[in-house]
Amino acid sequence: MRGDAATTAVRRGALVAVATLTVVLVLFPLVRLAQTVGQETGGDLTPLLSSPGLGTAVRNTLVLAAAVTLLAVPGGTALALALRRSDVPWRSFWRVAVLLPMLVPDFVLAYSWTQAYGRAGFTETLAGIGWDGLLGPVGVTVVVTVNAVPLAFLVVAVGLATRAEPDLERAARASGAHPATVLRTVTLPLLRPALAAASVLVFVLTLATFAIPVVMGTPAGFSTVTTRIYANLSLGADPFSFVEAVALALLLVLLAGLVVVPADAVLGPRLRARRVAASDTGSLDTGGPGGGRWVAATLAGYLLVTLVLPLVALVAAAVTRAVGVPPVPSNWTLDNFEAVMTGRTFEAVTRSVVLAVAAASLLTVLGGCVAVLERRRSGRWLSSLITLTLVLPGSTLAVALLISYGRWLADTLALILLAYLAKLWAFAHRPISGALDRLPPDEMYAARSSGATLLTAVRTVALRPLAPALAGAWLICFLTALHEVTMSSLLYGPGSETLAVVVLNSQELGRIGPTAALSVVLSLLLVVPGVLFWLVMRRLRVPDRPPESRPVEVLDVG
Amino acid sequence: MRARTTSLPGAKRSRTRSPRFRAGGLGALTIGVVLVLAGCGGAEGEDEVGAAEPITLYTCSSDETVQPIIAEFEEANPGARVELFRAPTGELNARVASDIRSGGLRADVIWGCDPLTMQSFVDQDLVGGWVPDNASGIPDNFRTDDYVGAHVLYMVAIHHTDAPAPEAWRDLASGEYEVAIPDPAVAASALGTLGYFAQSPDLGMDLYEDLRSNGAVQVSTPDEVTIGVAQGVYDAGVTIATSAYQAKEDGSPIDVVWPEPGAVAVYGPVALANESSDSQTAKDFISFVVGEEGQTTVAESGSYPTMRDVGGPTVPDGAPVVFPDWAAIGQDQDTLLSEYQKLFGG
Repeated sequence: MRGDAATTAVRRGALVAVATLTVVLVLFPLVRLAQTVGQETGGDLTPLLSSPGLGTAVRNTLVLAAAVTLLAVPGGTALALALRRSDVPWRSFWRVAVLLPMLVPDFVLAYSWTQAYGRAGFTETLAGIGWDGLLGPVGVTVVVTVNAVPLAFLVVAVGLATRAEPDLERAARASGAHPATVLRTVTLPLLRPALAAASVLVFVLTLATFAIPVVMGTPAGFSTVTTRIYANLSLGADPFSFVEAVALALLLVLLAGLVVVPADAVLGPRLRARRVAASDTGSLDTGGPGGGRWVAATLAGYLLVTLVLPLVALVAAAVTRAVGVPPVPSNWTLDNFEAVMTGRTFEAVTRSVVLAVAAASLLTVLGGCVAVLERRRSGRWLSSLITLTLVLPGSTLAVALLISYGRWLADTLALILLAYLAKLWAFAHRPISGALDRLPPDEMYAARSSGATLLTAVRTVALRPLAPALAGAWLICFLTALHEVTMSSLLYGPGSETLAVVVLNSQELGRIGPTAALSVVLSLLLVVPGVLFWLVMRRLRVPDRPPESRPVEVLDVG
Repeated sequence: MRARTTSLPGAKRSRTRSPRFRAGGLGALTIGVVLVLAGCGGAEGEDEVGAAEPITLYTCSSDETVQPIIAEFEEANPGARVELFRAPTGELNARVASDIRSGGLRADVIWGCDPLTMQSFVDQDLVGGWVPDNASGIPDNFRTDDYVGAHVLYMVAIHHTDAPAPEAWRDLASGEYEVAIPDPAVAASALGTLGYFAQSPDLGMDLYEDLRSNGAVQVSTPDEVTIGVAQGVYDAGVTIATSAYQAKEDGSPIDVVWPEPGAVAVYGPVALANESSDSQTAKDFISFVVGEEGQTTVAESGSYPTMRDVGGPTVPDGAPVVFPDWAAIGQDQDTLLSEYQKLFGG
């Protein structure tokens, strides 16, 4: 029984560590923000809440978040299911391609869309088809959705890789069930935790989205809470505007809390089940022969519209000497790349990569801890709590951390790291949580009582089936941290300039060419870790494969 | 690398450690990483022997302007060191506001991008009360007793080369153009322009009413105006001269007009932090920036200097310039913005 005591000690230790970090990263910064508002308004929030246009902005924000969630989660799920079919040609390629929008900063994505489809854009110039509604609520919704689909895809694909029960699905098919019935009665119910995780992430992230509404919504008078925060900070040298910005950020936290806390409390426990840790996470052939080609064709069409054309616009912008001249060879230039590739850039790249790796690695561990702890009574509140900082726009989260820890950590990379941990904790936790019930305690007990040390048990029983989820969480955090702009540009100091600070600050975010060039460089930079990651994943899954079995597919995302 | 990607780092290595140690190790690991990184940022520079205390400069002026100024100042003043925090106005304001609430302003010198923001810092007793003796070399329009203009932005009109050139600001509202204007709730330069137009008896808020009724569109920043007009989304717009000339020089199909009664001058003031009133380096730096040498560097870096006759980017011959009454705009800011927002949403 010494083993059980040790397990309990580990749990308790982890709970204490995670609880401490929750206080440091989430609670104390939020309390400091609330304190600022409370003290500086004397507790009278009437002038803040009655400011004209606030109601519209709140409504716009909520409608946008709901619409994007309703579009992006089914979209990401459809992609994940489609790419599970083994008969889709070039499946690995599609899986990577679907994730590409995550590499492009929002601001550039919004610009690429206007460049591709807006007035005087590609399609209008080439085919006479322009989309006037692009600059407005509908356009914002579409582009935020396109931006959110990869995240939903990743979370659902991770859920599929860890939770799917191909045997059940095959059994249903063999008993004569229609593929749609199998989907409805077997596959989707199994995916519920992953779908819940994806919905929460997409909803909260959309509440906090800023660059796309500001670029594409402002021309149509479409304002959101985040664009109001931005305006308040821009003219925020007067204390009242600053307090208003902070109050609006707390309003976002409140809105997120109102949705996430009940969702977690009601749905969370119901969605969980104890299941066998089977290693068959295989692909499934649900359709008839030739169906895969249709899937591939549809995917190609979707990606052409949502990704290829905007990316072509992006690359065109990166190599074209000026905005508004046709991207023909005589106008090509490498100036934008030269502007981006300075000595300081490379120093900053190293720093950003170290920071992103540290953040992603710590976050995966922290996310995993919360996923384990939320399953016990004492840790149930954790998952909702750590989602609250995700909804804070980067600027206000940075303010919160500066107010909380600036005295000791101002100008250091440590403060930026804390900001990343606070912002992305939920990013790491939700995908793991959506996959975790592959980890039935019984099997851990079995391994432990057969004499395995705790570590061996974790490594052999828990880690292997969870690998796709952990890797997926790591990847999301790494990618997001690598091109993060707002927080680091507010928190950096001498010797802690990140890539975004060096490049974007010196060029001003407003200049398209260098920013587009940076996105291209960043995407190319990510191919290297991407390939490494893919190799690691391959290695991880090889031992799982019995020689005679069907090819076992683990999400090879990058 | 691989240990990290599989995300329970050290799982194999720590086989011999006790479970209890590992659990506490998570917190320790996080704290350890944070401490190491804290060291990375803070340690630099402190080991330089014999150097004077470095000063910290907060600015929203462009990197291309600030970096050469700092380099020349440090060269001219051996031992002096300037540490730079540069960010767009919104982030800069947020940083200052956070500083105040966590132990006080951490800048010795602030070099802002508009007088409204700087006046607000003065009103909060953060900066001001001192200007260098050589400030008298800068025209009166660009200074007060608390701060001195170090660079200036000109708000001009641009038009796509397919559209005819406007001659006066009024022409933009004639219905002949689809116009883009920057949001005065976001860009102080746009607020200054709004203030100037509203104060001007010939233009007034009528100008915005006409713009609105003729389909003008408000975008976020002056840069977005430049991009939109260059792309051909809009025929004409109001933007910053440097942004417009940069795009034109790169080859964008736009032209720049300094419309009657004049391009609106928005100066970027530099001021000494109250807490640093005994820092000779900080004072020397401000003096250097607004002196002839500093102003020449500003001009060469592509920004407009406030000092006359030191060169600088394009100003067409006889180009008219107007100067907003910043004190009046500061007082009316809320009214101005709310009247404007009745027209342009926001």
